[in-house]
Amino acid sequence: MSITKEFSKGLIEENPTLVQLVGMCPTLAITTSVTNGIGMGLSTTAVLVGSNVAISLLRKFVPSKIRIPAFVVIIAGFVTLIDMLIKAYFPALSKSLGIYIPLIVVNCIILARAEAFAYKFEIGKSAADGLGMGLGFTLALMLISSIREILGNGTFLGIPLFGESFQPALIMILPPGGFLTLGLILGVKNWLTDRKKGGEA
Amino acid sequence: MLREIIVIALGAILVENFVLVKFLGICPFLGVSKKIETALGMGMAVTFVMAMASAITWLVQEYILVPFGIEYLQTIAFILVIAALVQFVEMVLQKMSPGLYQALGIYLPLITTNCAVLGVALLNVQKEYNFINSVVYGTSAALGFTLAIVLFAGIRERLELSDIPKPLQGFPIALITAALLSIAFLGFQGLKL
Amino acid sequence: MRKNEIVDFGWRLFIITFSVALILAVGNYVTADKIERLNIQLQDEARKSVLPDATEFKNITLEGIGQEEYKMVQSVYEGKKDGATVGYTVNVSPNGFGGAIDMIVGIDTDGKITGIKIVNSSETAGLGSKAQEPEFENQFRGKDAGSSLKVIKNGTPREDEIVAISGATITTNAVTDGVNTAANFIRENLLKVKGE
Repeated sequence: MSITKEFSKGLIEENPTLVQLVGMCPTLAITTSVTNGIGMGLSTTAVLVGSNVAISLLRKFVPSKIRIPAFVVIIAGFVTLIDMLIKAYFPALSKSLGIYIPLIVVNCIILARAEAFAYKFEIGKSAADGLGMGLGFTLALMLISSIREILGNGTFLGIPLFGESFQPALIMILPPGGFLTLGLILGVKNWLTDRKKGGEA
Repeated sequence: MLREIIVIALGAILVENFVLVKFLGICPFLGVSKKIETALGMGMAVTFVMAMASAITWLVQEYILVPFGIEYLQTIAFILVIAALVQFVEMVLQKMSPGLYQALGIYLPLITTNCAVLGVALLNVQKEYNFINSVVYGTSAALGFTLAIVLFAGIRERLELSDIPKPLQGFPIALITAALLSIAFLGFQGLKL
Repeated sequence: MRKNEIVDFGWRLFIITFSVALILAVGNYVTADKIERLNIQLQDEARKSVLPDATEFKNITLEGIGQEEYKMVQSVYEGKKDGATVGYTVNVSPNGFGGAIDMIVGIDTDGKITGIKIVNSSETAGLGSKAQEPEFENQFRGKDAGSSLKVIKNGTPREDEIVAISGATITTNAVTDGVNTAANFIRENLLKVKGE
């Protein structure tokens, strides 16, 4: 596949959150505001690209039997680096995302891409794959957090949308709202996919 | 001191349930909760790992990371401890309970990437718990996880027999069910400890 | 053959781990300073916001900080303007709903609370998090540090009362507790000496 295709597949077709259904923890926890969603999405993308490139570079050096611990160390390294950079240059984001930044380490998306792709393909394609998956993840986060923030807080990116009299559905930014939003989005997605298949049949 | 332990335990199991409130441990929660037995088995394995992980990572933090001023290596150190622990549990289970080992399948090594395990280790440091409180918190958090996953499995077993609209089958209905379970747990927020 | 394998795996993993640790050491070296400075800047700004009359702050060590009933007191700073003491700021960390709430309380030399600021908290979004909003924090301004502040559910608060955030009584109680503890500490250890 060409590099562009490796990149674009992560955006919709093989979207990690909505199609592959991986990396659920941060998806549900962090999407209480669009700013958090974007911040987390981009941080994860940075780690994803970094680790994909590094693992791709080292694939001849790492024997298959110890690949998982090796992946984990490399991914943890990138996460710690990103954590340091965010603490130093984006302290407000660091405060909002809290322990979810170090938790990027156990975001299944990163390990999954390392295992399925970076360990087998060369740098250029691995980087494209990482970037595509990361941005796909970011888009999914933005979708979910937009719904939750607008309905649950009456704001978008912190900007109030409705007048004083709007009573936000607080439950949307509480834990049940996370489960509910994702569940309904997946339901709608399934319905759309079925319709499309039915129409083409 | 006993009071403190009970407060931490109840807090972790009910008020701030790791899965339904803190969103830690979602992947296995959604993946291994189709049958009550498997869910229980997973819960037990995770409880053991989380209890031991809390203990060992606390020691690593206290006696290695802090004294040498290398706290920035925390993420790496902790995840390595967890990976080793899971490997160990895998070997033990394979020998002692091959049935469970088979049933858990790929979800066993996935305990390493279970955000709940790393999460609890990080939270122990953040909350500045001493050794005993860390282990209590870790074990309780895992028990809360087990509670959530078993409850969920119970519901899902029943759902299998129901007529669910096609687009909602599978993940979507699971998530909506989780939403309802989460609302139920919201009721514990008023618990005055 | 197995033994050779283990050695081979061993040193490969070691090299990877060592290299990663080295890179992180560099990263830490580059960013640690900035992070520390940001922290200090944040604290200074927070101190100024709760004790606006002061132009400079000095950390003072006191017996009793972090002991027994004052366990939640983290540190005390003396605020001065033109060489004269205008008040004190106290860092307290009461236990809120989602963990410790780091806050700073400002008290002037007349024993009045000049302001509070919540620096760090993990209270529930939309409920306890409202404690960080000006409407809530301003409630404490001007209150007498001598009165033990009490929390009421609703209505018009008296001089020694604070109205709770609806749906966040635990958070409100924690913050009020923090303010009362800070105030008591200052009164017992500092204001008495200055002849209150």
